[in-house]
Order: sequence, then structure tokens, then C-alpha cells
Amino acid sequence: MSIVLARIDSRLVHGQILEAWVPYVGADCIVVASDEVAGTSFQCMVMQAAVPSSVKLIIGTLEETVSILSSADLLKKRVLLLFANSEDALKVCQLGASYKKLNLGNMHSSAGKNRYTCTIALDQQDIDKLQQVEDQGVTIVSQCVPADRERSWRKLISSGGR
Amino acid sequence: MVVGDYLLAGIVAMLTGLDRVALVQIMISRPLVAATLTGWVLGSPLVGMEIGMLLELLWLGRLPVGAAIPPDDTQVAVGATVLALSVGPTLGLSGMPVVILSVLIAIPLGKFGQVFDRLARHVNDRLAVSGHTALMAGDIAGLERNHLFGLISFAFASLATALVIVLVGSFVLYSVAPVLIGAVQEAGLSLHYSLIMVGAAVLLGTINVNRSASLFCAAFTGTMLVLWLK
Amino acid sequence: MKETRLSGLTFLRIYLRSFLLQSSWNFEKLQNLGFFYLILPGLRSIYGDEIPADVRQRHSGYFNTHPYFAPLVAGTVLRLEARQLAGEESEVDAETYKSMVMAPFAAMGDALFWGGVRPLAALLGLLVASQGSLWAPVVFLVLFNLPHLLFRGSGLILGYTQELRAIETVQKCRIPDLAIRLKESTTVLIGVLCAYLSFKGCEHQELSAAWGFVLLPVVLLFAWLAHKGVTSLFLVLLTTSSLLLLALLF
Repeated sequence: MSIVLARIDSRLVHGQILEAWVPYVGADCIVVASDEVAGTSFQCMVMQAAVPSSVKLIIGTLEETVSILSSADLLKKRVLLLFANSEDALKVCQLGASYKKLNLGNMHSSAGKNRYTCTIALDQQDIDKLQQVEDQGVTIVSQCVPADRERSWRKLISSGGR
Repeated sequence: MVVGDYLLAGIVAMLTGLDRVALVQIMISRPLVAATLTGWVLGSPLVGMEIGMLLELLWLGRLPVGAAIPPDDTQVAVGATVLALSVGPTLGLSGMPVVILSVLIAIPLGKFGQVFDRLARHVNDRLAVSGHTALMAGDIAGLERNHLFGLISFAFASLATALVIVLVGSFVLYSVAPVLIGAVQEAGLSLHYSLIMVGAAVLLGTINVNRSASLFCAAFTGTMLVLWLK
Repeated sequence: MKETRLSGLTFLRIYLRSFLLQSSWNFEKLQNLGFFYLILPGLRSIYGDEIPADVRQRHSGYFNTHPYFAPLVAGTVLRLEARQLAGEESEVDAETYKSMVMAPFAAMGDALFWGGVRPLAALLGLLVASQGSLWAPVVFLVLFNLPHLLFRGSGLILGYTQELRAIETVQKCRIPDLAIRLKESTTVLIGVLCAYLSFKGCEHQELSAAWGFVLLPVVLLFAWLAHKGVTSLFLVLLTTSSLLLLALLF
């Protein structure tokens, strides 16, 4: 099993993932790690309907994700791993799933968050969580779609939010 | 070209620009349509269509997914058509060479489109807030008004992009045309075909299909053989 | 209390408003005002002129989906609202429904319309244009907009009549797989177009058509470069400068 992309995207499975990232990184399996989604059968069904049959979609809770990633089924798969937020990314990392690089895609704004790029809004908690992920040896970058330039999140933070 | 022509072209720039995101989206914003339309209001639809053909495929694979903004190929198409039909004749140029030169000059200027588009969307951030405030205060007409005001920022962004392309483009065209026109004339039709094929190659490379290379090769070889043996 | 039914006129107004969904698209909340604007005629039918504050709040928050799928969402949302007001229970409420479907629907719409129908229609348009016919833009517009306009309308009706079960209907259509079929057809047409242009080019240069085959690996190389993220601008400049150089040398 190889993780070809690990990404935080609050929209989870959407156009940027299926139309841009999946072909770009050549993924044939998408793993969505989210307790909330895994617990709602309706949302699992909608998500499944959006993915073509050539790409395998697995939705698991954070705990399940670690065992899913190391299962025999995924041995030969090129996996695209999705988290909804920084907290989930940290949790999965702490539970023992190893990804070397974490891509920040869409983290949409809500009250109390500062916007750093058009698509990324963070609060202090997010920054702390990402810091902890980085401490585990993960490189964190921001890149919305493959056509955009990849930027280190450090530069993003130091540029200051609005 | 007279002032009226520029006004018409400006209206086409705004309408086709709005079609990209803000209004209707029946795809009059695609270069093939936008350029032909511009050519038509300026009296030479065929020149417009030739420009549209060159541009149509170049960014077709760049999807307007989510908040990602692709280069503004609509205004590149409109701007290049205005360049070819307004500046070209004053230099005594017409036909394929000036079409190609205008397109080549307009393409890099399309970057401005991304800048203006982003600006328009930031202006709309404020509308989103004031519209929501109006709604929560019970002023539903206020929400509708704020929502529709968004059209103005998008229309201005399109017009601004077209203006920059035409103004900067004219300047560049005046300066490089005398130097390059000979070579472009020489390369002529081959260059036209090649540039359309660059677009086709880009689309082929960005289309999300596993077997794209083999399907393409089979279709290419098959068609070539049919044309050759005929 | 009986559930309010929407009239045909209301549906028509929602259909027309769907063309204005993205007028105030913004980075903060994306289509938030647009969605409220879209369903407003329906909300007025259900609640009368005094739309309750909680309803106003929940339909003007962060929202973003594919514009052509928005009528489908609107149909279901209005039905769920009407049923909730009538006191009927539902598995998922309108607000949760919106948050759950927006991204997957966006993915389906991107794949089907932006990735599938549009390139296919554009290629067919270009093939017509390469014959020098001014009908090309018309062909493109008609081919693209027939499915587009139909989809907006049937989505609205489907969403309203089947509400949550509309998902099952959508699922049965296997939209992502359909999109792949369309993309494969597009790929074939790209091959046809390139072959045609190569042939024409050779004819123009008075070369044997066999030279046209030389362009096959060149196109594949360019496609690979584009796939690797090389920009269209660079490829255009590369082609132009090499051809101009050739023209000057020979």
C-alpha cells in the first residue's frame, strides 16, 4: 500500500479530488477517515454515488482507518487519504498511520478563523494540531489543485491571516 | 473600427464574462463562441471563429472546480478578436498571420483575468455579509439586491480584463508585428494547425481517463489511414 | 396541518432563478446568498411572507455545489421544509441534507458536465469549425445545452417528488461512469481531429501524408508534459518559437 496523497479537505469527496487529484497522482483508492461520515449511512451512500466504479472508496472511522490502511485489500492500491479537519489528521497520525506529506486543500472559514489563502482558514487550535502533526515528521504543504504552486505551510502562517 | 464597435465589443466581453460563473452558464463563455460572437459584432465572424478554434482546447481541461480559478480564456478570446480586427488593419495586416499574433499576445495577458476575477470575488465577500445581515433583519429584498449586485463586480472584472488585453495587446502588437510578421506569414497555416493540436494535446493530457493514450493512438492512426488511402 | 404543495408557477420561477445562483459567488460562503435566492419563491409558498428566522438562517449559510445540480437540491430542500412544517418526521432534516450532498453532487456535476459533456461538445464543434462552417458555435451550444437545460429542470422535479430517495435515482444513473464513457469518446475525437489537422498540414506543405504520423508521438509527448503540470502557455510558446525558427531557417 502506498499513500500517494494525504489531504485535509472539509469538502471531502468533491470535484477537485476526483477530477484533478485522482488522475494527477494516479490513485485508484480513496480512503475517507471521518467518524461523522462513517456513522451516517445516508452520507456514505451519496459519497459512493459520486465515485466512478474504477476507483475504490472506503469510508472508515479514525480508528478503523489505521487497520484499513494496513489491510491486505489495499496492498497493491495507490491510496488517496482524506480528512475533514486538522484534528482528524492528527488523531490518525497518532494512531499510527504513516503518511509523509500532508496537503492542505480546503479548510473553509467559520467564526473565529483567520483566512490564509482563498481556500484555507485556520484558528490557533488548527495551527497547534498541524504543528503536532509536523512534529511527527510530516511535511505540510498547501496546494489546492495540481495546477497551483505547492507552498510550505510555514510560509503561509508567517504571511499572517486576515 | 468606430467607437460604436468598441462599445459592442465591451458588451460582448461583459456578457460572455458573466456566463463563466455568475450568470446562466450556457457556455457562450467558451472561446469558440465568445470569439465568433465578438467577430460577428465587429463584422468578421470567421476571423473570430479562427481565434476561437486556437483557444478553445487550451484550458478546457482546467475545470472551474470549487474555488480554483482557471485563466480567463473568455477574455483572451474576446480581446484577441478585437486586436486582430482593430489593430491589425491599421498596420495593414489581415488574415491568418494577424490572427495568430493576436492570440499569442493575448494568451499571457489572460493572467490578468485571474487577478480581476479574484478581486471581484473578494468584493462579493462583503456582499455576502451585508446580504446575510439584511436577511436576518427580515429585509428579504435587501438580500436579493445584495445578491444581484454581485453581477456588477463580475461584469467589471471581465471588462477590465478585456480592456487590459486590448490596450497592452495593441501596444505589443504595434511593436512586435513588423519584426515577427514575416516569419509568422511563412509558418502560416502550419502554425495555426499546430496550435490547435497543442490544445488537443493539453486536453488529452488532463482528461481523466485510464486508456486515453491507446484510444487516442487508435483513433489517430485509423483516421490517418482513411484520409491517406482515400 | 396539511403539507403545502408548490404550484407550477413557483417551479418555473425557481428554475429561472437557478440561472442566477452564482451571481454573488464569494470566497467566504460561496453560494450562500445564491441558494437562498434560489429557493425563495418556494419558501414564500410554504411560510407566506413571514419566513421564520431559523429558516432564514439555515438556508443562507456556507453552500457550494455544481450549479446544474442546485435545482435538484432546491427541490428536495423545499419538500423537506414543507413536510417539517406539516409536522411529519424525516430521516434527515433540510440543513443536514444540504451539507451532506453539496460536495458529492459537485463532484458528479464537475465530472459529467465540465469533464464529460463540455469537451465532447467542444470537439464536435471544432470538427465542424475545421470545415470553415460558421455553424460550429451553434452546434457546440446546442449539443451542450440540451442535456444542461433538461438536467436543471428534471433535477428540480426529481428532487421535489422523490425527496431523499432522489439520491437512489441519481445513484442508479451511475453518473461518474457515464462521465468516463463521454471522456473516452472525447479522447477518440481528439485523435480524429489531430489526424485530420496533420493530414491537412501535410497537404498544405505538399508532403506525403506519411509524415503526418510523425506528429503522433509529438502530440503524445505534449500530452504527457501537460499531464505533468507544464502550462498551456509554455507549450504554446515552445511550439510557436520552434515553428518560427524552422520557417526562418528553411
